[in-house]
Amino acid sequence: MRREPIDPAGIEWTRVSPKYLKVRLAGWAIGSLIFLIIFSVPLVLLLTGVLPRFPSLLAWLLPAVVVVFAGWRGLLLPRQVRAIGYAERNEDLLVRHGIFFQRTMVVPYGRMQYVDVAVGPIERALGLCTLKLHTASPGTNAEIPGLPSSEGARLREQLSARGEAKLAGL
Amino acid sequence: MTESAPDPALLSASPGEWKRVHIISPLVRGWIAIAALIFFGGRDWFEGLLTGNPGGFRGEAVSNLPIAIAIIVGVVLLIAGGFFLSWYYTRYQVTEEHVRVNSGVIFRQHRQARLDRVQAIDVVQPFLARVFELAELKFDVADAGESAVRLSFLKLGEAQKLRATILARAAGVAVDPEHPQDIPEAPEREVLALAPARVIGAAALSGNTVAVVLGSIGVVVFAFVLDTGALLAAFVPILIGVVSGYWNVLNTGFNFRAAISPDGIRIRYGLLDTRTQTVPPGRVQAVGVIQSPLWRLKGWYKVTVNVAGYGASASGEAQARATLLPVGTLDEVLKVIALVLPDPGTDKPLEVFSAGLAGRDSDAGFITTPRRARLIAPMAWRRNGVAVTGTALLARSGAWWRQLAVVPHERTQSLALHEGPLAKRFGVADLIFHTTPGPVSPRVRQIPEQDAWRLFSEQAERAADARRRSGPEQWMRPVPVEGAAEEPGALPENAVMPAPPSYLEGPAHERS
Repeated sequence: MRREPIDPAGIEWTRVSPKYLKVRLAGWAIGSLIFLIIFSVPLVLLLTGVLPRFPSLLAWLLPAVVVVFAGWRGLLLPRQVRAIGYAERNEDLLVRHGIFFQRTMVVPYGRMQYVDVAVGPIERALGLCTLKLHTASPGTNAEIPGLPSSEGARLREQLSARGEAKLAGL
Repeated sequence: MTESAPDPALLSASPGEWKRVHIISPLVRGWIAIAALIFFGGRDWFEGLLTGNPGGFRGEAVSNLPIAIAIIVGVVLLIAGGFFLSWYYTRYQVTEEHVRVNSGVIFRQHRQARLDRVQAIDVVQPFLARVFELAELKFDVADAGESAVRLSFLKLGEAQKLRATILARAAGVAVDPEHPQDIPEAPEREVLALAPARVIGAAALSGNTVAVVLGSIGVVVFAFVLDTGALLAAFVPILIGVVSGYWNVLNTGFNFRAAISPDGIRIRYGLLDTRTQTVPPGRVQAVGVIQSPLWRLKGWYKVTVNVAGYGASASGEAQARATLLPVGTLDEVLKVIALVLPDPGTDKPLEVFSAGLAGRDSDAGFITTPRRARLIAPMAWRRNGVAVTGTALLARSGAWWRQLAVVPHERTQSLALHEGPLAKRFGVADLIFHTTPGPVSPRVRQIPEQDAWRLFSEQAERAADARRRSGPEQWMRPVPVEGAAEEPGALPENAVMPAPPSYLEGPAHERS
């Protein structure tokens, strides 16, 4: 993974499974398709002659903008997936996300209240899962998506065990 | 919040008796409904009297009177019965380890909360309860929502005694086995009291006043321009809002007193409704100090806290609860912060905290937004800053609305480092501290990348260190090595009345 200035030095990030890209792509494709259909309505109405006086430029422009925007987001996806990483340290877990808007989060083991593992239909088909950490603060939004199921289970057990050993109340 | 199966051995060892709340408490709670009933029912009857037509049923009064009376009696009996049942089925018990409440007539609820998980205890007296010398006891645990246990209402003395019992048991104070009920209220020492004039002044200089002035100007101008008085009618709801705003400030700031006791910080306030809050040591997750532009004229500040039990509701009550000092001078603010953070972790606390409250640039060791990034924070770049002491982190921000957030190291939940494209262009990053829900959300804004991230990794380590060193959850439980020869009933060494910690040295600030 590329080193960013925001990344702590000397940390080996574990990347999430490359298969997670498929999950993101599926979500992206569905979302983009819905947007495209909605924004193509004027064009369809124009071509079928229901709204003959609708400005044709605008009718063509709307879906075009959607296509360009979706294409741009689609191109970013592989990099976004590569930018997700986590690192287990002695006392805490580091999670990082994002390319343009970078976020790095550190969650001490002793502060974890519980750990969630969620699996969606596409994730299940690919053998992936999403791990979510909760502390007493709702601001802790630490999510590690796209973990292989075995790794997710291992991490969950590991985190729970370490959390118990270091439990420090609030 | 609630425990799974209670340890049966423990239960039999301390069979706390089940008690009920005061019998007239449903009346005190439901008085609004009753008042409304009397008002609407009584008005018809009274109007009937005035028009010389008793019963109010216009001529058919005589034949309908018995039915009317029967209906009224029936309704009253029904309400009384409901009240009685709800009272009868509400019972509470305080054992060595837990407080339990059973309530509900049809849908029964059994609730149990661990005493050492207490985050805050309030004794509240709404106006009517004050008339009857009753009080409500609220016991908060860290679920940031509704109080875990609400006992309304108890006799005031009983509520205070119960609070003392709960706090003593939560603190792990050794109790005299022969008189387990005799738990003295922890002594307290007053740290500061607010004069009514200050509270009125604070209300007068609040944002409310700005809104009133701007609103009046707007309305008058519109009325002139449109040449109609109709718009003045819009003034009425605004006026109601403004008056209630002022009332809120006065009611919650009036008679405000803060004290320190071995059981933690105790604050009292209220004009009609009075409230006594106790926050045990180590339960404050973050402290925030705010100064609005108008308050700068007088050098006043407001201090708010995040306590896990208080939650983040925007209601007036929740905000009042999370207020540690409604309005205070620099000295008073420092006194209050000293209650939360007895050890400032620096040799020059006065300098550091003053710089945090009102300073700018890098005085007293603050790291600020670099000059190169002044375009993205044109007003606040000299004010944005962060300083670290041995025990806490101070995050300063805001040029107009000055803010300071203080997070004790051992209370840090998790940290995040954010850097957007614009911030990256200027080589700065934000450091966000996650704490329990509340009015304070500490965020270090736009500090240089390298510093942000050095702080990020250092802070994670400092927090881990501080957690290891932090005191026990039961804040008075004697440390085993020292307390080996402790006599039962005797208060442990550290239960001696603490002197109010102060950052201010010298005889000028000495308290009598």
